[in-house]
Amino acid sequence: MIEAQNLCKDYALKLKEPGLKGALKGLVMPGYKTIHAVRDLSFHIDKGEIVGFIGPNGAGKSTTIKMMSGILTPTKGRVLIEGRDISKYRKEVVRNIGVVFGQRSQLNWDLRLGESFELLKHIYQIDQADFDRTLEDLDQILGIREIIDKPVRQMSLGQRVKGDLVASMIHSPGVLFLDEPTIGLDVSAKYALRKFIKEINRVRKTTVILTTHDLGDIQELCERLIIINHGVMMEDGNLSEIVDRIAPYKTLVVEYYDESAPEHPGCEMTEHDGNVAKYKFLKKDLTAAEIIADLSNIKTIKDVSIEEAGIDDIIKIAYGS
Amino acid sequence: MGKAYRELIHYLDVTVQVIKMAFMTIIEYPSNIAGWLISNPLQFIMGFAIIKFVVASFGQINGWNYGQLAFLYGLSVISHALSMIFFVQGWFMGYYVIEGEFDRYLTRPLGVLYQFFFTNINIFGVTDLIPGILVFIYGCVKCGVRIDPLFIIQVIIILTGATLIRGGIYILLGSTSFHTRSAVDFGQYTQEIMDKTTMYPLSMYPESMQFILTYLIPVGWISFYPVSALLGIDSACNRMLVPFITLAVGILVMLIAGVYFSMGLKKYESAGN
Repeated sequence: MIEAQNLCKDYALKLKEPGLKGALKGLVMPGYKTIHAVRDLSFHIDKGEIVGFIGPNGAGKSTTIKMMSGILTPTKGRVLIEGRDISKYRKEVVRNIGVVFGQRSQLNWDLRLGESFELLKHIYQIDQADFDRTLEDLDQILGIREIIDKPVRQMSLGQRVKGDLVASMIHSPGVLFLDEPTIGLDVSAKYALRKFIKEINRVRKTTVILTTHDLGDIQELCERLIIINHGVMMEDGNLSEIVDRIAPYKTLVVEYYDESAPEHPGCEMTEHDGNVAKYKFLKKDLTAAEIIADLSNIKTIKDVSIEEAGIDDIIKIAYGS
Repeated sequence: MGKAYRELIHYLDVTVQVIKMAFMTIIEYPSNIAGWLISNPLQFIMGFAIIKFVVASFGQINGWNYGQLAFLYGLSVISHALSMIFFVQGWFMGYYVIEGEFDRYLTRPLGVLYQFFFTNINIFGVTDLIPGILVFIYGCVKCGVRIDPLFIIQVIIILTGATLIRGGIYILLGSTSFHTRSAVDFGQYTQEIMDKTTMYPLSMYPESMQFILTYLIPVGWISFYPVSALLGIDSACNRMLVPFITLAVGILVMLIAGVYFSMGLKKYESAGN
């Protein structure tokens, strides 16, 4: 469905030297430095996948997603959507994509929401029956009818994002790109957005590609993660596989009745504070039940809980701090 | 052929919708209408009053009498108004580049320049059209021009070319933002230069400037040469040929602008979220 081949994007950054002298020098003989925002990314995405691009700010996620959606021209490499190069056949290829970019709206600010959809109907040449049916379907998921007559400028961020989601799907594209879609949304709006993404993926088999910093988005939506840092691919794979590989451990938290805590030969005690001790162990070697049994042979246990290595650990490790 | 026709119909269909939405927007903010209806025409009528005063004081400007100047001024204001309706966004292209506003045009299946200009179509520009037409008709009467079908066709050809020249220049200047990555609002300056070179006879400027304004920045073809031809002021300007030269220059400027814009768009960097 989507094929990225050796994608590279360079930016020329004008060098600024300090002081008035530096400013004058920059004016007369500007020096440039090449920034490699994305270096040699290749991947393949199948129809119906939901893929999350994650990485710290400035890692190259947005640059990648913008090259994939035809906004930026790659310095090297190319993006094929259903076998066609989006840079070369932009107008044809973008018929099959929808885009929602975080804070930026494609809705007409001054008019009622419905007018924005009406314009898109003409732009994408959607016939009235299809248009009505799609709007009906999307209304079922998002509840758009109640805001369709409201001017966009009077909407809350949550309502506006709903409007943008419908606008991006009104022409029933095969691929939906979302760049940090949940940024700034409250809990219920985030829930609605995730439900929407899951529904269109399930019912319409829409391929969804999103960038996010939100752990909830990743946990709830993404079967596959592509982790990018410094413009380079760090990881590409199934969420649970990546977790198992990067963070193959769990942590058992044990509370005792007093401050002494026994060691366990299979674990590392990572923390011991008051009555509470934390034991980190490899999932493949031991189970929590075995450790609890061993420890309770030595000392009476008051309470236990287990900390999973979560997506936040993955991100911390992958971001390579 | 069938494909080109379908594409044309597609663009026309979108254009009709966009114009409908522009009217809806005007209705949404009715208080703006009054302001525009008063201030815009007033600006040009006052400009014309100044010409009248100068001519009354000096008899004529560079051999051009009052009627001929009205004809020139009117034609120039009409093409200015047309360029304001269709191409005024070009003045603000830099902001669109810096703010990443081209993203949405690039992800839709229509030409980027078309969307940039037409989804921002400025229906208010019509208010500039009214004084232009009034002064132009006044000029026609004063000069005793016979308004026959040939004349009307010539005027339409000239206005098309002139509007394309103006629009092309806006695009060329605006597209520099892709390379400089800075938003310069050059509207004010272009407006000044265009006003001074198209509303008065070009022949009153030094020869070196006339050369520049004919060949390098071809604003002479917006109004001065076509009017010289239509009114028979300069015998070197062929009445039948010059309107087509204006149209050709307009198309050429537009083509160059389009190529320069496309080159810029390849360097478009969007903006961070």
